[in-house]
Amino acid sequence: MSSAYVPGLEGIVAAQTEISMVDGANGRLVYQGYVIADLAEQMSFEEVAYLLWKGGLPTHAELDALALELGSSRTLTQAATITLDALPKDTDPMDVLRSVVSVQGVEHKLQKPSVPLAIHATASFPTILALFHRRQLGLAPVKPRADLGHAANYLYMLNGKESSPEHVHALNTYLVLLADHGMNASTFTARVIASTDSDLASCLVGAIGALKGPAHGGAPSQVMDQLEKIGTADNAERWLREARKQKVRFMGFGHRVYRTYDPRARILKEMCARLNPKFYELASKVEETALQILHEEHPERPQATNVEFYSAGVLQAIGLPKEFFPPTFAVARVAGWSAHVLEQSANNRLIRPQSEYVGPEPRKPVPLAERG
Amino acid sequence: MSEFSPGLEGVVAAETAISEVDGANGRLIYRGGYLIEDLAPIVSFEEVAYLLWNGHLPNEPELDELRRQLAAGRQLNKAAHATLLALDPATEPMDVLRTVVSAQGASKTLTKPTLEEAIALTAVFPTIVAATYRRRQGKEIVEPRTDLSHAANLLWMMEGKEPEAEAVHRVDSYLVLLADHGLNASTFAARVVASTGSNLTSAIVGAIGALSGPAHGRATFDARTMLDKIGSAENADKWLHEAHARHERFSGFGHRVYRTYDPRAKILREMAKTAAPELHRTAARTEELALQILHEAHPERPNATNVDFWASVVLTGAGIPKELFTCLFATSRVAGWTAHVLESLSDLRIIRPASVWTGPQPGTKPLQLAKR
Repeated sequence: MSSAYVPGLEGIVAAQTEISMVDGANGRLVYQGYVIADLAEQMSFEEVAYLLWKGGLPTHAELDALALELGSSRTLTQAATITLDALPKDTDPMDVLRSVVSVQGVEHKLQKPSVPLAIHATASFPTILALFHRRQLGLAPVKPRADLGHAANYLYMLNGKESSPEHVHALNTYLVLLADHGMNASTFTARVIASTDSDLASCLVGAIGALKGPAHGGAPSQVMDQLEKIGTADNAERWLREARKQKVRFMGFGHRVYRTYDPRARILKEMCARLNPKFYELASKVEETALQILHEEHPERPQATNVEFYSAGVLQAIGLPKEFFPPTFAVARVAGWSAHVLEQSANNRLIRPQSEYVGPEPRKPVPLAERG
Repeated sequence: MSEFSPGLEGVVAAETAISEVDGANGRLIYRGGYLIEDLAPIVSFEEVAYLLWNGHLPNEPELDELRRQLAAGRQLNKAAHATLLALDPATEPMDVLRTVVSAQGASKTLTKPTLEEAIALTAVFPTIVAATYRRRQGKEIVEPRTDLSHAANLLWMMEGKEPEAEAVHRVDSYLVLLADHGLNASTFAARVVASTGSNLTSAIVGAIGALSGPAHGRATFDARTMLDKIGSAENADKWLHEAHARHERFSGFGHRVYRTYDPRAKILREMAKTAAPELHRTAARTEELALQILHEAHPERPNATNVDFWASVVLTGAGIPKELFTCLFATSRVAGWTAHVLESLSDLRIIRPASVWTGPQPGTKPLQLAKR
C-alpha cells in the first residue's frame, strides 16, 4: 500500500495550494495567479500579504483597513518584552525571534488560526527584531509608528530615524519577493503543525526553526561570509578554483526547483547594481566565475544563482547587519506561512506519513541486572 | 511527480530504526527490536530514553551515568526562568512549554544536535511542566531534586512532597509507553525542521507545536473531558447514543495505523483498574458501548480504542490533572523526537516536498491600486 521511500520527499505532492506556484521549468514564481515580476516593484508588502491571505488584491478601503490593523499591532505584550530583555545580547536573532514570537502568541485556550491572528503575528516580527538589534547596540528602544508602512516602520525602528524612500522601496521589494515560495521546508513545517489543528503561533514558531537551518534561510549571511573571504573581483577566479579543490560549497548557488534563472534573483540583481555598486562589482564577478566553474563540472545542470546571492547585497545596502538577514527573510515569509496555515486549516487532514523500519527483527529485552 | 495523497497517508517519508508501528499486527517495536509489551514491565523511562538514543539497553554503569546527566540538567537558565515567570499563570500549558523550551535553547551560534543536548532538553521538561502546574495553583515553584528518578522528580516538583511509589510507577510506565511511535505528526515536524540543518531546540519546539493540536497530543485531554461529561458507567449508554445522533466524534477512538487493538492501550487498560477504579468502571463501559456503536456504523473499520483513551484514566490515577496531559505526552515523546533528529543527521537531506497548483491560470496582470 505504501509507496517507495523518496529521500527529502522530492517530487512527492504534499499539498494542493492556490497561494503560490514555483514553476521551475519556466523560471516563474506565481502568487495567486500573478507572476512575481508583475508584482515585485509595484506592490507594497501589505498588498501582497493581503493577496496571499485573501486570494485577491485589496481595494483602497481594504488596504487602508489592513494598514490600520498592522499599524496598531506593532507593540509587544509585556511577557514578550520581558523575554526579549532576558535573552543574552549575543543570542542568534533567529532564536530571539522564535522565542519572542512564541511568547507573543500564547493563549489561555487553543485558538483556531485566523486572518486577524495572521495580521497580528506579521506586525510583530519587525518590532521584535528592531528592539533586539537596538538592545545589542546598547541603544534606547524606538517605539513603532502606526503611520508608516511595514517596510518603512521596520527601518525606522532599527535606526531611530526614517530611511530614504529608495531604501524603503528596496526593503519592500525584498519582502514582496520573499513572501512565499511554494512548499519549501519552513512552509511545509507550518502546514504539518497546522494539520494537527494546532494554533497559528505554534506553526510560525516551527517555521522559524526550520528557516534557521543553513540549507534553508541561513544561506544569505553565508554569502556575505564567502564574499568577504574572496575580498576583490580580481581574486575571485583564484579563490573559487582553490575552494573547489577543497570541496567548499559556493554559497548562493543551487536550487532544487528552478531549471532557469530564479526570477527573484534577477530582480534583486538589478536592485543590487543600483543600490550597492561596490558589492555588485565583486558579486557579479564571483557569480560569473562560479557559474562557469559549476558549468564545467556539471554541464547538464541549469544556471543556478539563487535568491540568497543578491539579496545579501540588497540587505547590506539598506543597512542590515548580516545576522539579521535570515530573520528578515522571516519578516517576509510570515505572510506566506500564515496564508498556508489558513489554507491547510480550511481543508485539513492530519499530515502523518509512514516510515520504513530498518532496525532489527523483534527480540526479547534483557532485564537490567542481567545486562553485561 | 506522484499523485496527491492527502495527509501523506501511505507515503514513506523516512527510514528509521527508532521505532516501528506494525499496525496490521498491532505491534509497537522500539529501537533494538523490542516489543512494547516486553519492555514496559521491566524498564524505566530512563532506560527507554537510553535505548532510543543509543540503540541498546544500558547496563548499570551506563544507566547511572544517564541518571546523573539528567539530574544535572533539571535547572532552567536565566532567560527561560524569566520567561516562565513573565507568562500569565493561566496560559495554556503547552504554550508555556513551547515558549520556555525555546528560551532555554536560545544560543549564540548554530550547533549540530548532539546526544548531550538531547539529554539536557529531556531533563528540563518536567521542571517546566511542574512549575506551570504550581503557578496555575497559585503555589510556589518547587525546585528539582537530583536524587529522584525522572518520573518521581516530576511528581515531587508538582506536589512538593515525597511521591507515592504507585503514582511514580504509573507515571513512569506512561512515559515508557509514549516515548516513540513511528513517524507521527510531531516527530515528522521535528525531522522536517532538522532537515534544514537547524538546531535541536528548533526541531523540538516545532514538535511541541504539532503535539499541541487536538488531532494529535490533545486527544488524551479530550478523552478525559468526554469521560467527565459521561460522568458514570450508568450514564454511558444514553450519553454515547445522544452524542452519536449529534454526529459528535468519540474522543479516544480511531487511529490511522493500527488495524487491531493498540498494544499500549491494552497495557494502560490493565493498569487503569487499580490506578483509578471508579473512572475505570466508567471508561470500561464507555469503551464497550462506543466500540459497539462504531462497529454498527462502520462494520468495515477495525477495533479502535486508542492510547489516549486509557492514558487519560491512568494519568488521572497518578494524580495528573487533565490540563497537563498533553505536557506529559511531550515529556515522554521528547525522548523519541530527539532520537529521530539525531538519527536523521547521518543522512541529512532537506525535506522539501512538492505541491500542486489549484489556483487561477498564471499570468493575469495585476490591476493598479487606483483601478481596483
